[in-house]
Amino acid sequence: MRLNSVKYLFKQGTRNIAYNKLMAFASFCVLLVSLLLVGFSLLFYVNINLLVADIEAKNEVIVFLDEDTSDERINSINKSLKAMENIDTVVFYSKEEAFAHLKASMADSEVLFDSMGDDNPLVDSFKIRIKDINFTDETVSEIEKLDNILSIRAPLEFVDILTGLKRVISIISVSIIIALIIVSMVIISNTTKASVFARRKEISIMKYVGATNAFIRIPFFVEGMLTGILSGVAATLTTWFGYDALVRVLTQDNDILKIFGTGSLVPFKDLALSVAVSYMVAGAVLGAIGCVISTRKHLKV
Amino acid sequence: MVELKNVSVKYPSGVEALKNVNLTINDGDFAFVVGSSGAGKSTLIKLILREIEATKGTVIVNGFNLSKLKRDKIPKLRRTIGVVFQDFRLIPNMTVYENIAFVLRVIDAPLKYIRKRVPYVISLVGLQHKVHSYPDELSGGEQQRVALARALVNDPQLIIADEPTGNIDPELSYEIVELLKGINNCGTTILMVTHEHDLVRHFGGRIISINSGSVVFDEIIGGNDEIK
Ligand SMILES: Nc1ncnc2c1ncn2[C@@H]1O[C@H](COP(=O)(O)OP(=O)(O)OP(=O)(O)O)[C@@H](O)[C@H]1O
Ligand SMILES: [Mg+2]
Repeated sequence: MRLNSVKYLFKQGTRNIAYNKLMAFASFCVLLVSLLLVGFSLLFYVNINLLVADIEAKNEVIVFLDEDTSDERINSINKSLKAMENIDTVVFYSKEEAFAHLKASMADSEVLFDSMGDDNPLVDSFKIRIKDINFTDETVSEIEKLDNILSIRAPLEFVDILTGLKRVISIISVSIIIALIIVSMVIISNTTKASVFARRKEISIMKYVGATNAFIRIPFFVEGMLTGILSGVAATLTTWFGYDALVRVLTQDNDILKIFGTGSLVPFKDLALSVAVSYMVAGAVLGAIGCVISTRKHLKV
Repeated sequence: MVELKNVSVKYPSGVEALKNVNLTINDGDFAFVVGSSGAGKSTLIKLILREIEATKGTVIVNGFNLSKLKRDKIPKLRRTIGVVFQDFRLIPNMTVYENIAFVLRVIDAPLKYIRKRVPYVISLVGLQHKVHSYPDELSGGEQQRVALARALVNDPQLIIADEPTGNIDPELSYEIVELLKGINNCGTTILMVTHEHDLVRHFGGRIISINSGSVVFDEIIGGNDEIK
């Protein structure tokens, strides 16, 4: 196809928007609402995930060692732990440190400690951070196989709850998003169907003079795509202001976030580019597909 | 060239609109198709445009065998035919120029050619002063002249016109037929459906008369204007 034909078809598409302002506006609104619903669901999902990751990162497994484990042995246990695949960091926590810590935290009970003198009832331990908490169980049993291990304290129940929660959140979010996408496709193709119906006479004339289906469709395609991109821009701006306002409210009143054990939401700046691009691409694709679907019926002249 | 061999058309409703029609229209012919309402004239036109298919027989138009023509080749067929309808069928939100240029854009013609050819056909139908008007700013006769310009802009082998004068003043009808005659003189085949016996009598030529789906008369008669 010649360049001037391509230019012509694009111009037709933009002109169509101007001629069918009301319909174009209706499609624009439907797209905008759908994009915003999906967009906010996704942002919610991103933040929940971040929060869960935050909680996950705070996991701690403590490995207590037998009393009187030699320094050499401690070193070799340290090495073995570090060599394990699912272990992120290993920090040695000597019984002296632990005792000092304990004393400091219970300053009121000095008397109690005085009576104990230097007799340290605690044992040496390692504080371990797990990489993937879903495999905490496996890692714990691996550690148990080492010698000189007194006991292990791992947040296993907590891991179960967290994993379950994550699965539920994922399922709910994904279902909501899929449902919204389907609903918006249906509404959009119905909206454009009305605008195509209004132009069915024009389409039949085009067919009489020998226009191919592709030639007739391209302007509709361009029209849908442009409407979609405009909705994408509007959705980006709305999300920007809406999300920022939300973040401000939530962070001003820090208590709300603290309930969830986290101090931060993802700032919009970090997401701006991907949000804008996704909105525009999604808008363009949805708009174009909606238009193309609805022209099909009228092309059979 | 249009060739119908033993063609019958039966609509899904059961109406037999054409019955065993045999008809040949040679290149360069000018033929009037007449007949009472419901005789099957428009059906013949739709058949040639491949809007409908023959239930029996073969239809060959400009070298295309329509019963064997694939759907995606229909645009190719239609590009060899110019059509004019009773109700003009111009695109309302396009100017006169755009309505005509559209046909050339469809065939992906070079812009340079479009810019030369469109004003030329507009001048042929005498509408130079209305190039940038919209269809609803024109009279019926003017709109039909635009439709005519559109039909001939890509230099088709065949122009078919279904009652092109049905919606315009009788005096203007003569003008339209004169224009068609002029186009015919340049070699284009013309097939024109009409109700107006005055027109047929005035111009004469080949007359094909259809009655209840059958060709009942197909001869060349002399027109009044030739006697003058
Ligand atoms: N789409 C259709 N479905 C069913 N029957 C049809 C259809 N189109 C036309 N007919 C019938 O076929 C017959 C021929 O119709 P056609 O339109 O060819 O007549 P015509 O000669 O053009 O009439 P007119 O002069 O009134 O335009 C009529 O009886 C009509 O009712
Ligand atoms: Mg008719």
